[in-house]
Amino acid sequence: MREEVAFRLNGHDVAVEVDVHRTLLDVLRDVLGEMGTKEGCGEGECGACTVLVDDAAVVSCLYPVCEADGTSVTTVEGLFEPGGELSPVQTAYLEFGGTQCGFCTPGMIMASVALLAENPDPSEEEIRYALTGNLCRCTGYVQIVESVRAAAELMMERPA
Amino acid sequence: MSYDYHRPRSLAEALDIAAATPGARFVAGGTDLMVQIHKRAAAPAALISLRHVAELGGIDNGARLRIGSSVTLTELQAEPAVAAGYPALIDSMRPFGSRQIRNMATLGGNLCNASPGADAAPPLLVYDAVVELRDRAGAREMALEEFFVGPGETALAPGEVMTAILLPPRAGDVRSVYLRKARVKMDVATVSVAALVEMEEGSCVRARLAAGAVAPVPKRLRDTEGLLVGSPLDDATIARVSTAAADEISPITDVRSTADYRRHLTGVLLRRALERLRAAPGEGVL
Ligand SMILES: Cc1cc2nc3c(=O)[nH]c(=O)nc-3n(C[C@H](O)[C@H](O)[C@H](O)COP(=O)(O)OP(=O)(O)OC[C@H]3O[C@@H](n4cnc5c(N)ncnc54)[C@H](O)[C@@H]3O)c2cc1C
Ligand code: FES
Ligand code: FES
Repeated sequence: MREEVAFRLNGHDVAVEVDVHRTLLDVLRDVLGEMGTKEGCGEGECGACTVLVDDAAVVSCLYPVCEADGTSVTTVEGLFEPGGELSPVQTAYLEFGGTQCGFCTPGMIMASVALLAENPDPSEEEIRYALTGNLCRCTGYVQIVESVRAAAELMMERPA
Repeated sequence: MSYDYHRPRSLAEALDIAAATPGARFVAGGTDLMVQIHKRAAAPAALISLRHVAELGGIDNGARLRIGSSVTLTELQAEPAVAAGYPALIDSMRPFGSRQIRNMATLGGNLCNASPGADAAPPLLVYDAVVELRDRAGAREMALEEFFVGPGETALAPGEVMTAILLPPRAGDVRSVYLRKARVKMDVATVSVAALVEMEEGSCVRARLAAGAVAPVPKRLRDTEGLLVGSPLDDATIARVSTAAADEISPITDVRSTADYRRHLTGVLLRRALERLRAAPGEGVL
């Protein structure tokens, strides 16, 4: 069974005809060629595939692509500022060592973006709780927490 | 594997599709079923999505609190009527999966998946939850305790949908709590317990105890809870209760834990839960 699925992807309208049993992750990577979003476990455990659907963080490996129809999807590719600059969360991850091999990073960043949208000034405990679903085998998490704190400071300093 | 995917907008449409489609499964948040499909533990011919069925959403605070089966755990956590009246249910959401999982997972899905360790089950059991089921012939209500039949098995008939979870209103000095132990964050519970007591003049007049991951189904501990009624929450009563629970459960040994450890842990968690209820009149605490 194939169907057309239409949604906004990083601010642009996309429409693709897909096999209905595919996941959003599959379609982002294999059909739309957006390789930022990673597949780690494929079972909802690692968070590497985290994207925002209507601003809520979800694991795209368990997200039926048909459910993206009519929504607005944001992936790490959608975070660039209007001038092509990196967003504050990306900048902070680079500066504070929140990324090493980088495999977890897009998912980690998307979960961080969702947290900061809801809670612009999170404590260390709140950051750790919000990132429970994102595994990292490299950093040991300390620099990730520091990166999110730094991103929060950067965003709070910016004129609204 | 390949399957069809349906997105009905109404309950009637969902029930019609189910009746007309052999091998179809309902899917809500997909956080259990999509994993089973990925692991090839399920191979449905079609999925019938419940996300857009208007009748299954929303929380309605009437004579009973009515939680639509497709309410997500994130929505549940944000609901003041749940926090105020049913704190053990809120306790059970805090360690549940991850934010991404709670944004997708539904309360109905947690119950219909019928894992013995389902986190929402013990709190709902101590609140005497009733589930509302519906098929093309009509609706019926059933105590949640009756709904669980075995691991992954429920009282749902083929093509029947859980439409809502109903909670009786809370009154008097009712105190409740949920505690769970897991190996690491994001792991399902090794053992979980929920406890509810209603106190009057220092003595317990009503008690409910339930435990998860220690029997084929999330289990209400009827014999054990009976020991609380008519007694104060003193050390002797709590000790008696936490020992007695071992006789009412039938834990297994698996990758997470041995049966013996689960039996021990059930007693420990019950003791801690009751000690907290003694210390915190009128409110649930984690
Ligand atoms: C990484 C990860 C972590 C998890 N952590 C936890 C945890 O800490 N605690 C825990 O208890 N669980 C956990 N789970 C399991 C799962 O998230 C929950 O059981 C969740 O509540 C299932 O809800 P769902 O809406 O996603 O269900 P689905 O996967 O959509 O459905 C589950 C089952 O119920 C049936 N079903 C769903 N809704 C209905 C309905 N209304 N009527 C009839 N049948 C229906 C489906 O056909 C399917 O068989 C975790 C899962 C993952 C992937
Ligand atoms: S790939 Fe989706 S959570 Fe691991
Ligand atoms: S940077 Fe390597 S997994 Fe996180």
